Amino acid sequence: MGLYDIAFYIISAITVLAAVGVVAARNPVHAVLFLILAFFNAAGLMVLMGAEFLAMLLVVVYVGAVAVLFLFVVMMLDVDFVRLRQGFAQYLPAGLVGAIVLLVEMLVVTQAAKDIRQPMVAELRHPENVRAIGYELYTDYAFYFQACGIILLIAMIGAIVLTLRHHPNVRRQNIARQVGRRREDSMEIVSVKTGSGVEE
Amino acid sequence: MMDVLVQQLFFAGAEVWLAVMAMVLLVVGAFVGNRATAAISYASVLVLAAAVAFIIGLNGHPRVSLFGGAISTDALANFGRIMVFVTAALAIVLGDRWMKRVGLQKFEYPVLMLLAALGMSVMVSANSLISLYLGIEMQSLALYVLAAFSRDNPKSSEAGLKYFVLGALSSGLLLYGISLIYGFTGQVGFAEIANALPTSSKVGVVFGLVFMLAGLAFKVSAAPFHMWTPDVYEGAPTPVVAFFSSAPKLAAMILTARVLTEGFALATPEWQQVLIVIAVLSMIFGSFGGLVQGNIKRLLAYSSIANMGFALVGLAAGTAAGVQSVLIYMVIYMLTSLGLFAGLLVTARQGRPLESFEDFAGLAKVRPGLALVMTLLLFSAAGIPPLAGFWGKFFVFKAALDAGLVWLAVIGVVLSVIAAFYYLKLIKVMWFDEGDRPVDGIAWDAGLVALAMALFVGPISWFVLPVLEPWALRAAAILF
Amino acid sequence: MSSVGLPHFLGVAAIVFTVGVFGIFAARKNIIAILMSIELMLLAVNINLVAFSTYWGQVTGQIFAMFVLTVAAAEAAVGLAILVTFFRNRGDIAVDDASVMKG
Repeated sequence: MGLYDIAFYIISAITVLAAVGVVAARNPVHAVLFLILAFFNAAGLMVLMGAEFLAMLLVVVYVGAVAVLFLFVVMMLDVDFVRLRQGFAQYLPAGLVGAIVLLVEMLVVTQAAKDIRQPMVAELRHPENVRAIGYELYTDYAFYFQACGIILLIAMIGAIVLTLRHHPNVRRQNIARQVGRRREDSMEIVSVKTGSGVEE
Repeated sequence: MMDVLVQQLFFAGAEVWLAVMAMVLLVVGAFVGNRATAAISYASVLVLAAAVAFIIGLNGHPRVSLFGGAISTDALANFGRIMVFVTAALAIVLGDRWMKRVGLQKFEYPVLMLLAALGMSVMVSANSLISLYLGIEMQSLALYVLAAFSRDNPKSSEAGLKYFVLGALSSGLLLYGISLIYGFTGQVGFAEIANALPTSSKVGVVFGLVFMLAGLAFKVSAAPFHMWTPDVYEGAPTPVVAFFSSAPKLAAMILTARVLTEGFALATPEWQQVLIVIAVLSMIFGSFGGLVQGNIKRLLAYSSIANMGFALVGLAAGTAAGVQSVLIYMVIYMLTSLGLFAGLLVTARQGRPLESFEDFAGLAKVRPGLALVMTLLLFSAAGIPPLAGFWGKFFVFKAALDAGLVWLAVIGVVLSVIAAFYYLKLIKVMWFDEGDRPVDGIAWDAGLVALAMALFVGPISWFVLPVLEPWALRAAAILF
Repeated sequence: MSSVGLPHFLGVAAIVFTVGVFGIFAARKNIIAILMSIELMLLAVNINLVAFSTYWGQVTGQIFAMFVLTVAAAEAAVGLAILVTFFRNRGDIAVDDASVMKG
């Protein structure tokens, strides 16, 4: 059992435990933190498989953006999570049985790949992971790349149209007006007679 | 090199055009604001019309594979695109007018519709697992937002949320299936998968296929993946529901047909069984579930579940005639459903939409024209003989019979008779129940759409069907 | 020589995926928990894709995993936006019972 194996077993054990933590945590903030832990360790698995670039992306995109977005929403919405968890125990047995059946089936199937016990750090066609991805992403996969761009655009439009609110009574800075103001428009020198005030 | 790129962009012209114009209209909207909504809506209808004209111009051109086998332009894709674009244009018109009436006009509505249509266009022309996934996601993300579009309405945002959760769950299943299929064949293109199948681990591929079919079944809201569909239909804005009860389902059906026949022809007996189970369950849940509903939008949701079951019967046949029957069936279903939802938009009582059976009681006395149009559409949906709905079912069951699935066809016929009850119940309520409470004026846009669809399922279909039939056959034939 | 191979990685992915599916059904009403479970499912898919990609010696799987990441991020953004509108309307994020619409 080499170092590689030890690393694999440790990392995958933490990944699985963190995944269980996401589902079982009572406090949603803890659940998000478990999710982050799971992502970090999955990134570790990807390094073991020789996909360094994707591992980095997973950390940057998932931990940096998605998980933080979750954390943000959990903190922002004032939700009574204790009440939400009612009924958890009630569905637990049935759910567990279903999950175990599914898991056994999936394990049986995935172990169908057993005859191919080759080390996972196989050589890719191009030696460097990032270079290999870069070569293909912008050539063979350019169509998909563009489609992903459209999907992100849709997400952007969607998030804005659903949550942006213009408040009509808020005073906004109008820079053009501010800069375009001249002395004559806003100031006037009047000579005031004593005791009579300014006349409009 | 340059020529190849230009040629590819030309054959993907409809997609490129839609993407570019959606962005142009978005920028116009962002600068001009919601004042421009009506103009942007009509502009997007013109954009879709131009795309349809372009595709008709390509008609008869042999299959072209584009972008390294990501998508292809062929008879089936063009069939799907034309139907999707026409439906999207109708839904944009319906939605724009409706949102003006309820004071919700926003320029993002037509833009999101265009982008959803773009996603469906990718779906119907997808030739690889990646474009399958990306097309579905493009379409779904736009539809999630549209379902929650009237954001100050609790029902609409609940509908959006439920639709989103279901959709995301189905994407997860779909992707897991896709990852197994990719893993055990080493390929993502449908044609390459078909070539790799004989040498790959059968159990792995079939397992992946089951997951993928479950994901796709979610997307067409077939049973047993239909939970919450009625909630979504009830809560989302009616014009949006009109849209997502129609075009996305056609797109998903075409996609399913394509991936199964082009990629997994060798595993036909396996996927046939899965489809038969899903079809039977959908027909049962859809037919019986609809019987107890009091809300028309929920009723139409169950109707759509049942209809997906009937369409899947055709697909389960696994023959060219089967796919042809699905195409015909889906087009007729789509237009009927669009007409029925448009009918719900035609009038209201003091601004409250007519949505329950009581609202429709005695409608024939106050609005005989509307009642007549609805009756025609409902008769067609129930499958009463001279109308289009009957012919749709006829083709589907005939395909199943020819493929030797006699008992499946029998179950289908029996359940379609049961489903007919709830359509007939609504007709009875409109014509024979008491109640002559006045209704508001007619919304002519929705009225015209409903009328056009009623005419289509009635007399026009007798002239259209002889054209539709060979066209659908030509489209289906490219898969076999 | 290492004894860890493709089946091991697929096994981890299968476990994480099952936990995610189980989480969806266990969470029931808690939408945020459902969304996190969906992220777990997608994570499992990504592990699968990368494992197969390495196994076949092509980058296709890794690029697919990148697209999955992108789309999942977009999905999370839209989902949370819808969740925020829902919360604004209802003051709560429970969906199943106490529903405006009877299920």
